[in-house]
Amino acid sequence: MASSPRTLDPESASPEAAHLPLSAAVLAILLALSGGEKHGYAIMKQAALPDGGCVKLGPGTLYGTLDRLIRDSLVEETGFTDDARRRYYRLTNLGHRVLAAETARLSAALGVARPRTALRGARA
Amino acid sequence: MSRPNPALFALYRRALVLYPAHVRTRNQAQMLQTVRDADAERSYSAARFWLYLFTDLLQSVAQENLLMVRSQFSARPIFFHAVILGIILTGMGGAASLVFQQMLRRGANQPQIQMAETGSSALSTGSDPHSLIPASLIDVAQSLEPFAVFYSDSGAPVTSSGYLDDAIPVPPTGVFAFVRNRGEDRITWQPQPGVRIAAVIQRVGGSHPGFILAGRSLRVVEEQEDLFWKMVFGAWLALVVLLMVGATLLARAQIAPTAVARAQG
Repeated sequence: MASSPRTLDPESASPEAAHLPLSAAVLAILLALSGGEKHGYAIMKQAALPDGGCVKLGPGTLYGTLDRLIRDSLVEETGFTDDARRRYYRLTNLGHRVLAAETARLSAALGVARPRTALRGARA
Repeated sequence: MSRPNPALFALYRRALVLYPAHVRTRNQAQMLQTVRDADAERSYSAARFWLYLFTDLLQSVAQENLLMVRSQFSARPIFFHAVILGIILTGMGGAASLVFQQMLRRGANQPQIQMAETGSSALSTGSDPHSLIPASLIDVAQSLEPFAVFYSDSGAPVTSSGYLDDAIPVPPTGVFAFVRNRGEDRITWQPQPGVRIAAVIQRVGGSHPGFILAGRSLRVVEEQEDLFWKMVFGAWLALVVLLMVGATLLARAQIAPTAVARAQG
């Protein structure tokens, strides 16, 4: 599941790039699942933590987004469940690659932003 | 383990019906379980918790329904184009109908404009109001005949060819104030429930200062307007049906060659 704007250059359009940039909710879900398979509520809790992106997801947003991530083959159900009301999800290979690509994109942007904001902060 | 507030939990469960069916069927049990889990571990007030849940629910309901509509339209673009065409034609037809309705209403001011102008001119040049507007007994509530009334400078009725319940009808005082400043006013006047008059009022100067009002019942015009709007609605309904039938036939015609090609292949 990617959010607009998508890449416009067909030459550079890898399967991962087509999903970038990610919305905050999608990034938080992928990040939570990168630590291993989880059920919905565990994803919600992880996303709300500082190392999960501090993204507050409600059940409606969470499961709607998960549906679209499954449709886009970034996430899949494990098939394992201890209860019909708690289904477990994990990242697919594509999901891992998309998360890595998004992390690299954000790192590059941060690499540019950090010195600039530090300079401005020093001037202030 | 604590249980969520039963009333709010029941309301939340019922509100899930707002999601598109496929989303609800797939996620309902998980969502309710997540609410139970979150409530059991919440560290802040119940009011804040439920407010957040219902806000999230409304936002995601809107998003999911919007996505469903978008995907339905993109799956059937002919219907999408039919709806857009329908909206454009409705807008154009609506604007044209409003213009026509206004023309119909403005047409109802004749012959009152002519009567008021002639009367005002005659009275200003010294004609006697009583001889110009001979008292007759046109029942304003029943008759379709035009009538005229002369009012003094203070707005008191002097003479009239039309009566309502055996009295000369008098418009609101604000009308006289307006005409005093502007010289003329054209109004739809309802002197009593069920009686609507297309009235033209002009200022009269000279030796008999005052106001002359020429009016006529709007009964026939409003019947025509009613009929007109019924016809417009009928035409609009026919247009919608025609567009939907056309779109359905076109969609089938597009599917048919694909099916034939698949069968041949």
